[in-house]
Amino acid sequence: MKKIIIGVTSAILWVVCVTLFVAFAMGGGGANAEHQFTVLTVKEDAVKDYNTMPVFRELEQETGIDVNWIYNTSAQYSNNTDPVGTKGIDAIYHTGFSNLKLYDYGRRGRIVAIDEYLDSMPNFSRILTARPDIAEALKSPDGHIYSLPRVEEMGLKAYPNILYINKAWIERLIDENKLPENVSLSKEDLRDGLDLYRSEFEALLEQFKSQDMAGGGKTVPLTFVSGNWQGNESDLIASFGVPENREHKTVLNGKITFTIEDEKWFNAITEMHDWCSRGLISSSSFDQDESQFLAHGQDGRYGAFYWWEKDTVLAKEYRDDYIIVLPLKDDDGNRYVGVSNEQEVEKGECVILDACEDKEGLLSYFDKFFEPDYSAQLNYGSIKSGAFLPNKENGKLIPNDDHGEQSADDFRMRNAPYGVVYLTQETWNDSVQMESRAQLRLDNLNNYVKPYVFEGVTSIPNLNYTQQELLDLNTHEFSLSNNIASWYTQAVIGNTAPTRDSWQSMLSVNRNSIDAVLRINQAAYDRYVEATA
Amino acid sequence: MSNELTTAALEDQLDQQTGAVDEIGVDLVEQAYEALDGESADKKKQHPKWEAWKTNFRRHGWILLFIIPAFIYVLIFCYVPMYGILVAFQDYMPGDSIIGSGTTWIGFQNFKTFFSNPNFWDYFLNTFLLCIFGFLVGFPLPIIVALLLNSLRSKKVKKGLQILYYAPHFISLVVMVGMLKLIFGSDGLLDQLSRQMGGDAGGLKLFLTPEAFRPLFIFSGNWQDFGWSAIVYLAALSGVDPALHEAAKMDGASRFRRIFSVDLPAILPTIVMLMILSVGNLMSCGYEKVLLMQTAGNLETSEILSTYVYKFGLMNGQYGVGTAAGLFNSVINVVLLVIANFTSKKLTNNSMW
Repeated sequence: MKKIIIGVTSAILWVVCVTLFVAFAMGGGGANAEHQFTVLTVKEDAVKDYNTMPVFRELEQETGIDVNWIYNTSAQYSNNTDPVGTKGIDAIYHTGFSNLKLYDYGRRGRIVAIDEYLDSMPNFSRILTARPDIAEALKSPDGHIYSLPRVEEMGLKAYPNILYINKAWIERLIDENKLPENVSLSKEDLRDGLDLYRSEFEALLEQFKSQDMAGGGKTVPLTFVSGNWQGNESDLIASFGVPENREHKTVLNGKITFTIEDEKWFNAITEMHDWCSRGLISSSSFDQDESQFLAHGQDGRYGAFYWWEKDTVLAKEYRDDYIIVLPLKDDDGNRYVGVSNEQEVEKGECVILDACEDKEGLLSYFDKFFEPDYSAQLNYGSIKSGAFLPNKENGKLIPNDDHGEQSADDFRMRNAPYGVVYLTQETWNDSVQMESRAQLRLDNLNNYVKPYVFEGVTSIPNLNYTQQELLDLNTHEFSLSNNIASWYTQAVIGNTAPTRDSWQSMLSVNRNSIDAVLRINQAAYDRYVEATA
Repeated sequence: MSNELTTAALEDQLDQQTGAVDEIGVDLVEQAYEALDGESADKKKQHPKWEAWKTNFRRHGWILLFIIPAFIYVLIFCYVPMYGILVAFQDYMPGDSIIGSGTTWIGFQNFKTFFSNPNFWDYFLNTFLLCIFGFLVGFPLPIIVALLLNSLRSKKVKKGLQILYYAPHFISLVVMVGMLKLIFGSDGLLDQLSRQMGGDAGGLKLFLTPEAFRPLFIFSGNWQDFGWSAIVYLAALSGVDPALHEAAKMDGASRFRRIFSVDLPAILPTIVMLMILSVGNLMSCGYEKVLLMQTAGNLETSEILSTYVYKFGLMNGQYGVGTAAGLFNSVINVVLLVIANFTSKKLTNNSMW
C-alpha cells in the first residue's frame, strides 16, 4: 500500500511540476526590455523577418525609434480571442478588427484614440485635413479614430471582373467551320476587346462544350468563383441591366439599393439556371475557392472565365490563347457593368494599446509610414531588397520588374510587409511609378470595363454607424446574406428553374431584414454625404 | 493504546480476509469495534451509517487518492469554466473581467438578440433534425455490428473485420471531408460518372444540394465511427458467461435466437447507459465538420446552432450572443438528459441516478 501511495503522490507532484513549468514558459514571452517598443503583427512564415527588412532598418535610423516585431501566423492570430490582452506589446499591426471590434476595444479604453495624438503625427493629420472622406471613414460611433488605415487608391478594386475567352478555341472553330450559326467572327476580330452579344457568347459556350474543345471531357465552358471578391459572376448578371455586385447592394443615384429586388435580377438568375442546367457554367463555380479555380485553369481547359487578370489563372504557354471580351451586350446592344463595394480605404490596419508607455513616440514612428517612399516600400518591398531601382527617375521610384527566378507575386509576398500605407493618385503622379502589372490592369479596365459602368451607380463607401446600427446590421446582415446565398445558389444550380413565386417569397420572408439593412445604410450614407460635402 | 493496536491488527487481518470494500467487511469491523469498545458501540447505534462510513474511510480512504486526478481534471476543465456562462448576461469582450467592477450587466439582451434572429427557428430545426437523424442511425448501428461480430465463429475473421471497421475512425476530419468532396462534390467522382452516363447535363452536385447534406453528414460520420463505437459493446459481450450459450444450445436455440435471448439482455444495461449519455448530447453535434461541409448551396440545412455560435459569436465578436446561444443549447441538452434518465428508470430500471 505504501508503494501505491508513493506512486500516486509522485504522479501528482509530477503533474504539478509540469503545469508550473508550462505556465512559466508560456507567460515568459512577449516583452523585451532591450527594445523601445514591441509590436505584434500577423505574418506568415514565408514572409521575411520584419526586424531585418531594410525598410524597417531605414525607418529606425531616421526616427531613432527601435521597434521589435513579434509574430503570430494568421492561424494563431485567428485563434487568439484577445490579442489586445497580449502581455508586453505596445501595438498590433494587421489587426483585421471590424468596426464593431474597434469601437468595443476603444470605448473600453484598451486601445488608444489616435485623434488625440495628432500633434505627433504631421503626415496623418495632413491626410485627415486633405481628405475628409478618409477622416469620416475612420471614425467610430463616438467620433474617435481608433486605428491607422491602409489607403491604396488605384481605381482597381471597384471593377474586379474581366471576362476572358479562349481565342485559340474560337480559331479552331473557325478553321473547322464549326462556328455557331449566329456568330460571325473572323480571326482578325479575335483580339482584346472582343465584342459579343450575350446570345453569341452563349452559342460559343455551347459549341465549346459540344465539341469538347479541351478533349477528354475536361472542357469547362464558363467558370468563376461565386461570391469571391474578384472574378465573380456579378457582371454576367449585370449584363441583364441590373447593377449587381457580390453583396447585391449598391448606391444608385444616391439611394442604397438591393439588386435582388429588381425584376431584371430574377431574369438573370433564370437565364443562369438555364446555362447551368445545360452545363455551360461549371457547377464547381459555386463551391470552389480561389486556389482551386487557379489550379484547374492552368492547363487551359477554361473556355471563358471571369478574373482580374489572366496571368495568374493560366500557365505560361496558354496565356496568349485568351483575350478580353467587352461586357456582354444585351439584345438591344446595351452593355452594363456593376460596381463592387471593395474599399480602397481599409480601417483597422494598426492599433496602439493603452499599455504603451510612450504613445506619442510610437505614433510618430507609424506616422512615417504615410510618406510616399516608405508607403511604396512597405507595399512592394524595400529598395535595397530590389523591389525598386536604386535611383529615382524624375523624382519617382521606379519598380524593378526583374526578380530572376521568382515570380513578381512571390517576390512581393516575401519582401513586402503591407499594412499601413498611403498611396493615392497624387503618389502615382509625383513619387512612385505604378507597377507594370497594375498599370496593365488599369489600362484594361479603362479600355474595356469602366466606359460601360451603370450611370448613377457608385460603390457604398466606408460608412460610419452608431453602436445600435452596428448591432442591428450585424443581426440582419448575417441572416439575410445566408438566405440570399442559399436561395440564389439553389435557383441557379437546382434541378428545377426558379419560379417567380419562390423569388417573391424569398423577398417577403426577408422583408424585415432587407428594409432594416437599407434603412440603416441609407441613414449612414446620408450622414457620410453631409460630412464630406 | 492497547485497544488501538488491537484494532489495527484486526483491521489488517480483515484486509487479508476481504481484500475489497464490501458490506461484510464493514459489518466485521463494526462487530470488532463493538467487542472492543462498548461506549463507541452506543454512539454507533445512534448514527450507524455515519460510523460505518467513517470506518470504511479509515480503512480504504487511500483508494480515494486514485480519483484525485480525475476530480481535479473535471473541476478545472468542467466546473471552473462554467462561470463563463455569465458572459451571456453581459456586454462582454475578451479581456473584460467577468465578475468585477468593470462588468456591464445587460440582463437578457443577448438572448433577445439571439431569439429575434429571423432564422432562429430554422437553425434550431436544422440542429434538431441533424442530431436526431444522426442518433437514430448512429446509435443502433454499433450494437448490431457488435452482436454480429460477436457471433462470428472464426476469431481471425472477427479480429480482421473489427480492425477494418474501426480503422476509418483515425482519419482526420479535414481529410475525411476532402475525400467526401472528391467523391460527391462538383466535378467529383459521382458527378463525372453521372455526366458520362448521360444524366442531366448539370451532373450530380451533392455538396450544393440542401437535401443531400444530412445524409452525407450522417452516413459519413457513421461510416467513420461505427466500428469504434462497437468496441464498448464488444467488451460488454465478452463478459457474457459461455455457460449461458451452452445451455441455450442444449435447448436447441438457433444462433439468431441466442443473440436475442442471451447477448442482447447481457449488454442491455450498457446500451441504456450509453443511450442516456447520447440523448444528453443530442443537440450538440460539433461545428467543425458542418463548417467544413458547408457551401452556399446547402446553407438551408447546414446552418445549425453551433455554426451560428462560431460565426456570429466568435468571428463577428458578439461573444455575449454566442454564449447565450450556447447556453440555450446546453439547457435543452440537460432537459433531454433528465427526460431520458427518468424514462429509462421507469421502463428498464437502469439509470444514471
